[in-house]
Amino acid sequence: MEFTDRELWAVGHGLVLGSLFLLAFGGGLAGLYSLKAHYLTEEGIAERTPRLLIGSVVMAVVAWLTVISGTFVVYPWYRATPPDGIDRTVQSDALADFPRYWLLASEKTAEWHKLGMEWKEHVAWIAPFLATAVAFAVLYYGAQLVRRGEIRRAAIIFFTLAFLAAGVAGLFGAFITKAATVA
Amino acid sequence: MQDMQTKPNGPVAAAFVAAGIGSLVLGIFVVLNEVSPDVSNFLKFDANYGLGAGVGPLSGKVFLGTAAFLVSWVALHLVARGKEVNFGRWFAAALILVFAGFALTFPPIFEFIVNLVPAAE
Repeated sequence: MEFTDRELWAVGHGLVLGSLFLLAFGGGLAGLYSLKAHYLTEEGIAERTPRLLIGSVVMAVVAWLTVISGTFVVYPWYRATPPDGIDRTVQSDALADFPRYWLLASEKTAEWHKLGMEWKEHVAWIAPFLATAVAFAVLYYGAQLVRRGEIRRAAIIFFTLAFLAAGVAGLFGAFITKAATVA
Repeated sequence: MQDMQTKPNGPVAAAFVAAGIGSLVLGIFVVLNEVSPDVSNFLKFDANYGLGAGVGPLSGKVFLGTAAFLVSWVALHLVARGKEVNFGRWFAAALILVFAGFALTFPPIFEFIVNLVPAAE
């Protein structure tokens, strides 16, 4: 049993960071939703504020790490150009090392690139912007967020949109990897 | 109206709107990359400025989107710091920007826009 460097990077980018992102999202969302004065005592607010802070900051950091590793490490392997001697119109074994071209070589798989990859590679970058804004709001207000219902609700919306952006990217990433792996 | 026991909301509103601006700028460059070969070549920050290797125009799109997010955040923070702003309006603007960014990154939408531009043919 062994992994290539590419497989390790792909697993780190998609599975490890993706799982951390999901975990941080779940914790952060639950923390934001339940941060209401009538749900909690002063002690309760003080107890869960650091957890909310960690969840939101971890989600933002993981979002940045995921898009940076995906764009600058994994993506170049995906879009690598095959040498002139390889026929780009046939899904051959030789073309399999060039996932973008392998997908485009057949009408049955071309949409994985044209729709899936084209959307994934861009929409993923919206997630860290949104997650960072939420992390800043939590950092800025801390326990005071309990008295700022409008900001807490806005943070929940941004948090969810960040998750949706990352979810689209993650889902297409999984399908594309199944159709044409970078390993 | 500000809860007098909490900090003013300006800096948070600034961060939310800046995230929207970053999203929109990313989306705009996704479209421009498809419309203009010159812009597409400019966006190859990997080849032009050494930002990564083999990334192509995506390197420029994400760099400029991120730069727009950070620069607009600093600028809006300076404008809104210490102030209690109408958060509902700021957040509505942020949401519109984010949804526009989402839409412009969606291939059927950016391809539709590209097809409207004669120069792209």
